[in-house]
Amino acid sequence: MYIQDINTGEKIEVVIELISSRDLREIKKDSNFIFDWAKYTDKEVYKLRIFQEDKIQGLMCIIDHLDENTDAIEIELLEVGDENVGKKKRFDRIAGTLIAFACRESLKRGHEGYIFLTPKTKLIDHYNSKYYLSFIGPIGNNPVGVMVGEEKVARKLIKEYLE
Amino acid sequence: MKSYKEIEKKYKPVEIAESYVFPNDSDPSQRAQSLEIFQNWRRNNESNRTIKSKLITNLLQLKFVMEDYIMQKEYKEDYDFSYFLTQYIDRLEIKRKEFAQEIDVNPTELSQIINRHRFPNEKFIIRLEVHSNKNFPAVIWFKVIEKGRIFHLQNDSRLRLSESRHVKSKLDFTF
Repeated sequence: MYIQDINTGEKIEVVIELISSRDLREIKKDSNFIFDWAKYTDKEVYKLRIFQEDKIQGLMCIIDHLDENTDAIEIELLEVGDENVGKKKRFDRIAGTLIAFACRESLKRGHEGYIFLTPKTKLIDHYNSKYYLSFIGPIGNNPVGVMVGEEKVARKLIKEYLE
Repeated sequence: MKSYKEIEKKYKPVEIAESYVFPNDSDPSQRAQSLEIFQNWRRNNESNRTIKSKLITNLLQLKFVMEDYIMQKEYKEDYDFSYFLTQYIDRLEIKRKEFAQEIDVNPTELSQIINRHRFPNEKFIIRLEVHSNKNFPAVIWFKVIEKGRIFHLQNDSRLRLSESRHVKSKLDFTF
């Protein structure tokens, strides 16, 4: 799996691994990340870093829903380091690689590729066009729905980002 | 921590979607409803899934377990070639005899490999690669075998002791 240097087109090998408590201390000092990741100490948080480099390029918290009705991975929070957000970014594919990793974990853990996340309304179309997630509309008084992916989406993302 | 509104001032929606998934900060009842939406959709989607789709997810799960096991340092006694081969055949939902015919192997030979009385040779693992339409390359099977052999080579003190008796002379230093 790789991220891509936008300027040179170079493909740069990356690894995704569980975050350590030391990482969390470093992230707290790092202005590159704006979310309070210390709140997620007890949760399953992964970091994406360039192979043979320590610097974290992206973070993702997932929730493994083991109950029979849900049986899926939820992407609770994902953040790309500020250096790689918007027009100034150098590396592309960070978020996609993390989402594809969540899909792979879903398959590996027997959730059959099912993933979901709660979108901000304005981002729905973009999550769909970029990551092929479908929007399932709200019910009852809930103001928002969820974005979902299943086996076919998982396979597509894994092929695009992890192979 | 910046809020979504602050981020929205700085970046376009497409740039935000390429960089963030925001936490679901709605109240517990709304959160429960979000989960219910997903559960309903999942249930409907599941009822429409084909046998082929289920087979693909079953085999992908096996492949990812194998890939991660090969990469991790830890050795697991249960995760040997025989275990993964049995899993592969079981997930295809075919009888072992039938599988032996499909890869043109004597059923006795297959049984011996599954029961750990015989090591698979290169021809055997190449046939697994072909049978799986390269979805399980020969290398993945080979690496599982290799991992087990390395572990036993490193930990077989009895073999080390018996073979030491055959060595008449050795270097008198260590690096």
